[in-house]
Amino acid sequence: MRKVAIVGVGQTRCGRRDDVSFPELVHEAVKEALEDARLDIKDIEAFITGSMPAPMSGINAPHLYWADAVGAYRKPIIRVATCGTTGGSIAHTGYYHVASGLFDVVMVVGAEKMYEGDPQGVMTTIWDYRYERPFLAGAPGVFAMQAMEYIHRYNFTLEEVAEAAALLSVKHHLAALDNPYAHIKQEITVEDVLRSRIVAYPIRLLDICPISDGACAVILASEDKARKITDTPVWIKGLGYCGDEQLLADKDLVWWLSAVKAAQKAYKMAGIENPVKQIDVAEVYNPFTYQELTFYECFGFCSRGEAVKLVKEGFFNKDGQLPTDPSGGVLCTNPIGATGLQRIAEAALQVMGRAGKRQIPAVETAFAHAMGGSYSLNSVFILSRSK
Amino acid sequence: MSGRVAIVDVAQTKHGAPYIRNLTVSDLVYIVVKELLEKTGISIEDLETIITSSSDFWQGSGCSNVFYFDAAGAYLKDSPKVEEDSALGFVYAFMRILSGHFDKALIVAVTKCSEAPSISDITSLNSDPFYQRPVGIEEVTAAGLQAQQYVSRYKLSDEIRAEIAVKNYRNAINNPYAHRRMNLTIDEVLGSEILAYPLRRLEVADGSDGAVAVLISSEEAARKLTDTPVWIRGVGWSVDHYFLGDRDLLEVVSLREASERAYKMSGIRYPRKQIDLAEVCETSTVQELLWYEGLGFCNRGEGWKLIADGVTGMYGELPVNPSGGVLATNPYVARGLIRVAEATLQLKGEAGRRQVPDAETAIAHSTHGAAGSHHTVIVLGR
Repeated sequence: MRKVAIVGVGQTRCGRRDDVSFPELVHEAVKEALEDARLDIKDIEAFITGSMPAPMSGINAPHLYWADAVGAYRKPIIRVATCGTTGGSIAHTGYYHVASGLFDVVMVVGAEKMYEGDPQGVMTTIWDYRYERPFLAGAPGVFAMQAMEYIHRYNFTLEEVAEAAALLSVKHHLAALDNPYAHIKQEITVEDVLRSRIVAYPIRLLDICPISDGACAVILASEDKARKITDTPVWIKGLGYCGDEQLLADKDLVWWLSAVKAAQKAYKMAGIENPVKQIDVAEVYNPFTYQELTFYECFGFCSRGEAVKLVKEGFFNKDGQLPTDPSGGVLCTNPIGATGLQRIAEAALQVMGRAGKRQIPAVETAFAHAMGGSYSLNSVFILSRSK
Repeated sequence: MSGRVAIVDVAQTKHGAPYIRNLTVSDLVYIVVKELLEKTGISIEDLETIITSSSDFWQGSGCSNVFYFDAAGAYLKDSPKVEEDSALGFVYAFMRILSGHFDKALIVAVTKCSEAPSISDITSLNSDPFYQRPVGIEEVTAAGLQAQQYVSRYKLSDEIRAEIAVKNYRNAINNPYAHRRMNLTIDEVLGSEILAYPLRRLEVADGSDGAVAVLISSEEAARKLTDTPVWIRGVGWSVDHYFLGDRDLLEVVSLREASERAYKMSGIRYPRKQIDLAEVCETSTVQELLWYEGLGFCNRGEGWKLIADGVTGMYGELPVNPSGGVLATNPYVARGLIRVAEATLQLKGEAGRRQVPDAETAIAHSTHGAAGSHHTVIVLGR
């Protein structure tokens, strides 16, 4: 099978970006990625694009609107969209473009301009229109149900879990200060989190990701090309993708089968048996602090019900045994169509050793995740310095 | 690339049929996936990947694939969604098999146009909100501008345009899956009201409801699953500039690019001679002529001759749209994969009354975007 490597990444500054149009925003990321890989647009053979449901930005088939901005004129371009997982799904698509042998160098581009739309309104349309949409609005309500389920499953008190969630929030906000692309840059304390207003019980404002405008681009190459392009190719050693049922009542949101299986597939391909020992840093898709706890367990970073204790012990801190989201994660930056791809870009930068102030020392293997749909789709990548 | 990839079999709904209106998008997906599994004798457990294709705008739901995820049999499988054009879903599945990671892949596409606003309304949202949307650019008006340009540059007669519509609706009579099956006269076509000058209602593809599924596999798996594999010989896809004003709408550069890529891969040098039939995605009569030209069946401005000489008629040298094409059947996002399914039935010799005799090589073509800005070309062979 053909090996595929990441050879360049580009990210925009995220936040409210009224200074640029949607195509201009996308162009920024594309330009950054080309400069990063020292490539010309002529070197890119095909483009893979994606964003949230197109209504998010009010443009249908946005790949056509972006076509000139990404430089795709007369070249192959495809749009893949799977809600929050989009960033992961388009990276999968890019991987198969190269792995198929049809292409040697391709660019994957994800973007979102959420301030131009009504994100919670659009997300409400994800829920089944017959049973769930009438009583579910946007994202936080479901996260709240999931949080309560987690608390009850393992007989925690709300205070115990709320404290762990608040510690995660503080950790990510602190990390985002070191990330030049991050949106929310604010130093906060555990008390700030626990005193912030409740959005959907028990979830508080500082437990929740923002909406952002932003774009991300990643260049993938075949082995021959990768060696010519860069001295620090980041190899895609494993990838997994898995989807669960649509209706919330049909699935377990504490032990998410789609997350468990996506990780297992990626681990198997990459030869990972002990994630904690073999993974040096993880970029987990973490829009909500409570949800992040469940992911740690599903990915085998700890046993079931153990995440609360480990968070309190600093296990996932920058100097802990398995540092997570040194970028500040989704909690601080969330242009949804780009968010999953940012996890991959950030993980790649860690492996390349070019993550600046957020660098974790001596990263050999990194983990990158994306989640979306009706809490039903999960994508996992294992990136490594060695093939 | 590792080895050859084959289409094992296909399944489709009776598009636009009255019974379909009472079924949900999930029902349609379930019907075609179940039929295809029964036909090929494989169980859902044998599949690791299912590529879906639909549109969130057309379906009125964010993450349209999540809605029918279970119906597609995708539970706990690797199942992404390719938006807007199911022919691209097909090429993605093709790449997955080529990579060697999967030996079988199912592609399923669906749209229920009856549940959505008109094609003009939905595609006006393809236009940017600053320049194109305010002046009314959408699929139908863009096709009208393109048609008018063709008429004035190449002096195309009304009758030739109408003949294309007559041909396709008449071919559809032989296709039990087709939506609009009509035996029309040229006068009837030219007597229908003008939608976007010079195009008349019967020259523009209206929407349909329908779903289609295709199973592809590696050569090794295909040999076990079918006696009549259809081989994927070449693929190409490409995009044009976004703003209509930046394009010469008659140059169809992205179609030329896509077909060159597909022909190169499949070793086709003389398309008109080497291709036995084509299923093209004509959203208007004039587009069918432009696609002839872009696919290299004739020179620029000469597409009309193929109609006048009957070359692309059912009994011509290179029949185009024996199924009735998109004028007859247009479940929007599914239409590209329907072209693949129809071309496959022809090469398997299972196209019934619409069968083109001894078809060896066929083209499936798809397009989306105003005046055909994105094109996909797939070459299939026996």
